Amino acid sequence: MSSRKTTTRSWSWTVSDIVVASVLAVASGVIFWGWNLSYHLIGNLFVFYPPVETLVHGMWLFPAVLGALVIRKPGAAIYCEMVAAAISALLGSQWGLTVLSSGFMQGLGAELVFLAVLYRRFSLEFAMLAGAASGLTGGITYHWIVPMYAYAPLETIIHISCFALSGAVIAGVLPWLATRGLAASSVLGPLASRRAHREPMLLGGTPRG
Amino acid sequence: MGEAPGVAVAAEGWSWQHAERETPAIAALDLQISAGEKVLLAGASGAGKSTLLHGLAGVLHDEDAQAAGQLLLDGVPAEQARGRAGLMQQDPESQVVLSRIGDDVAFAAENLAVPRAEIWDRVDSALEAVGLSGFELEHPSAKLSGGQKQRLALAGILAMRPGLLLLDEPTANLDPAGVRQVRNAVLRAAELTGATVIVVEHRLEIWAEHMDTLVVLETGAGVRRRSPAAQIRTDQALGDELSSMGLWVPGRDPLHGLSIPRGAGADQEDPLKEPQCPDQQGELLLHAGKLAVGRHSPTTRWRRGSIAPPTLTGVEVEIRRGETLGITGANGAGKSTLLLTLAGLLPAHGGTLTATAGLKGDGPGQLLAADPHEWRSADLVARIGMVFQEPEHQFVRGSVAAELALGAEQAKVPGTAEPLYTPAEIDARVQLLLDRLGLRALAQANPFTLSGGEKRRLSVGTVLAAGPELLMLDEPTFGQDAHTFRELISLLREHVDAGGTVLAVTHDAAFLRGLQARELELSRDTPPPEAPAAGELFGGMRADSWLGRRNALAKLIAVFLITAALVMTIDVVSAGVVVLASLAALPLAGIRAAGLFRLMWPFALGAVVAAWGTALAAEESGAVLVDLGFTTISEGSLALGLALGARAFAIVLPSVIIFSTTDPTDLADALAQQLRLPARFVLGALAAMRLLGLLAEHWTTLGHARRARGVGAHGGARQRLRSTLSQAFGLLVQAIRMATRLAVTMESRGFGAGRRTWARAARFHAADLPVILGGALIGAAAVCAAVAAGTWNFVWS
Repeated sequence: MSSRKTTTRSWSWTVSDIVVASVLAVASGVIFWGWNLSYHLIGNLFVFYPPVETLVHGMWLFPAVLGALVIRKPGAAIYCEMVAAAISALLGSQWGLTVLSSGFMQGLGAELVFLAVLYRRFSLEFAMLAGAASGLTGGITYHWIVPMYAYAPLETIIHISCFALSGAVIAGVLPWLATRGLAASSVLGPLASRRAHREPMLLGGTPRG
Repeated sequence: MGEAPGVAVAAEGWSWQHAERETPAIAALDLQISAGEKVLLAGASGAGKSTLLHGLAGVLHDEDAQAAGQLLLDGVPAEQARGRAGLMQQDPESQVVLSRIGDDVAFAAENLAVPRAEIWDRVDSALEAVGLSGFELEHPSAKLSGGQKQRLALAGILAMRPGLLLLDEPTANLDPAGVRQVRNAVLRAAELTGATVIVVEHRLEIWAEHMDTLVVLETGAGVRRRSPAAQIRTDQALGDELSSMGLWVPGRDPLHGLSIPRGAGADQEDPLKEPQCPDQQGELLLHAGKLAVGRHSPTTRWRRGSIAPPTLTGVEVEIRRGETLGITGANGAGKSTLLLTLAGLLPAHGGTLTATAGLKGDGPGQLLAADPHEWRSADLVARIGMVFQEPEHQFVRGSVAAELALGAEQAKVPGTAEPLYTPAEIDARVQLLLDRLGLRALAQANPFTLSGGEKRRLSVGTVLAAGPELLMLDEPTFGQDAHTFRELISLLREHVDAGGTVLAVTHDAAFLRGLQARELELSRDTPPPEAPAAGELFGGMRADSWLGRRNALAKLIAVFLITAALVMTIDVVSAGVVVLASLAALPLAGIRAAGLFRLMWPFALGAVVAAWGTALAAEESGAVLVDLGFTTISEGSLALGLALGARAFAIVLPSVIIFSTTDPTDLADALAQQLRLPARFVLGALAAMRLLGLLAEHWTTLGHARRARGVGAHGGARQRLRSTLSQAFGLLVQAIRMATRLAVTMESRGFGAGRRTWARAARFHAADLPVILGGALIGAAAVCAAVAAGTWNFVWS
């Protein structure tokens, strides 16, 4: 054990990374559950034009981006979204076993954004981009890969666009704020994101120690 | 278990500075502990005691930390001596990894790749050693009390056959009976194994006479003092020194020298309290008659078949102005639930709860309802202040000053949105409290970053800021050092001296004495503690049914095959076949019709919504049935919608049946052993899943705490949204705290490195074949029926 300083981080997962990511995903499951109780009120708003219902579906995407922002390791977005999906499957999901495929695809969307910047950028615009990408891949899954809707072309485009928009806001801005808040509360001690609250808001937020 | 002799511990110039900290937690530590020595490790709060234990347990490895020197166990660097040291932390919940006690004890042995046959011998002897051999190996760890959970953790450690036991305030969260159980179990284990023991503890009297050596750490440095443990009782100077560090020294009263209640300050006017006339002393404020209380809402919930029974019934309580009342009683007697009910945060299950005119206050206050649960939270904060057991539950703002201001801001004149205090008054209250709490230097600090004692003081301060008459506290002295204890008593005495009233749930006799409290002891005529809500969330496992006893992977494959068939086509016939087949399989799952209805009706509703959505949004075909202008419902879109709705229902039905008969532990075993998914991730997810029920409880408590702070989920959509977001953030903080501790527990039991064995083999048996074949058959039948009926509607065409 000698004195050392590192600037580039290892991409391998520590036990803390694994357990925190897992518990975050489970906590997301609890937040889904809390959200479910009030969702039926909000869901009624979209009864007259169902394609815009995805405006609030970003809620289902936040574990992916939150996981990536907090853990900052390859696979965090996919892992958190899949575990959260598995929890909802265990609790009884509307979509049965297909939540696993949509969970994977939604996580993949966010994952690809962070992979593109080699897990070095975690600022607001990338969080929003990841949320939007998650909505996009989620929408693609719902309509073409494991189709759960049979909408006309225009409605399909609206449905997916709203999903991406919602992803950018609910699954982009909110997880980014949450990560900063968590870092400021100094609970992220053992994780790569512990300095998130001191990083610049936009481009240039590098995960330096 | 005599073959694991004690480990000799050596620290050689060891320093550790956590990332993001300006000073080292420990610097240049030189310490020798001989094999089998029993050491009581003490020091002021922040002296690096936990850091040292984590270092010895080999779980410190922060990439950005500054480290120097060495920690050696029998000459081997601590991080390479996997399995030689076992660590027990303070919070019982994060010391348990798996949901069955046998599995939990086996966990560490599995991680050390102990052969399967030997694992169960180790489990049996470890459970025996800690006095838990009376339980079945399948007993749910969630149903153990705090003291039993800590003993289970000890068993998990002993199953590694370690030579060093590291105990980090192992009894701080326990009631007195739990403290004795755990202490005795540790001493017995040390005797059986000959292991070296290092205990960190504030309350020295628990351990003092059983230890060999006292080591006192100097904050930010090395060893300050090393003495025989017996000197704690005999050496006056040592006692003074330890007291000054905030430790509880046997035979010393931490309140020594504190002014007597109702002392000299009573005639001084206190700007935080309305002046009280002496003749109002003893006026009745709150009266509970035949009160019945319960954790869950007294009304039926859709996921639960029956109304949850009350935890406690027939409670008679009178709370009078100026008094201090302590509610005591065994764990699980419903004390906290009673307190939440009296505080107007939970609805009563029966009986009456009446706030008198004295509590409601003059003028507009008289308009308030009798039951505090019906009050707005803005009216509640100014009358009843609730201090939660976990201070962090109460924090909703980014700085100490903002946290204090919030309480005062949220107090409103009853029936109006008019603030009770002017901005100048609010500022005056904040300034006064900053001084009184000793938090002025930390006014801009984030509340979550405070020390344990500072958080406790702030949690009381946030409540006092709104100027409530009645202060309620839930176990306020749990895990606190003697300094914080003294400060807390002093704050509460001031409140009472100024005419205020205090009601506390506590196990702490010193606390009751310190406040000269009247005691109300709840008798334990109730069943043992309720299990956390996990079972309820999972809709209740039916593991005893035929399907419940089948291999989890086989069931997963069956559902996968059925789901795949349904996903391929959108048509009513295939969906119908699957629904009928699933209903026919219900007896195998032990699910009755009523149970099925309760499980499925939300999904049936969801299917209707899905049908409706597609009917509106699908491409128009055939005759138009309804024209809404911006969209239409046509014959074709309606038929498509119905098919989609039926399919959605058919997809969810088999998965609900399968998952309600599958234990997550079995599923994880199958995924890791048979499907060969990475064991670290599968077990991480499984351990996290055990926290589901606990996190759900945190969620509920955070909701109560928001109402108690005046920022509950009520009123307009904006306020509800803000409150829910704050609740979600609070949950994430608690989740990460728990996860970090759990990660330490798992790693200190050898998790995460190298090959592991499995205590239970997951493999297919002959009886699992019908499950897979059944799934294949149902899927094939659905496809064939749809093709034969001409309704086959391939989705990827």
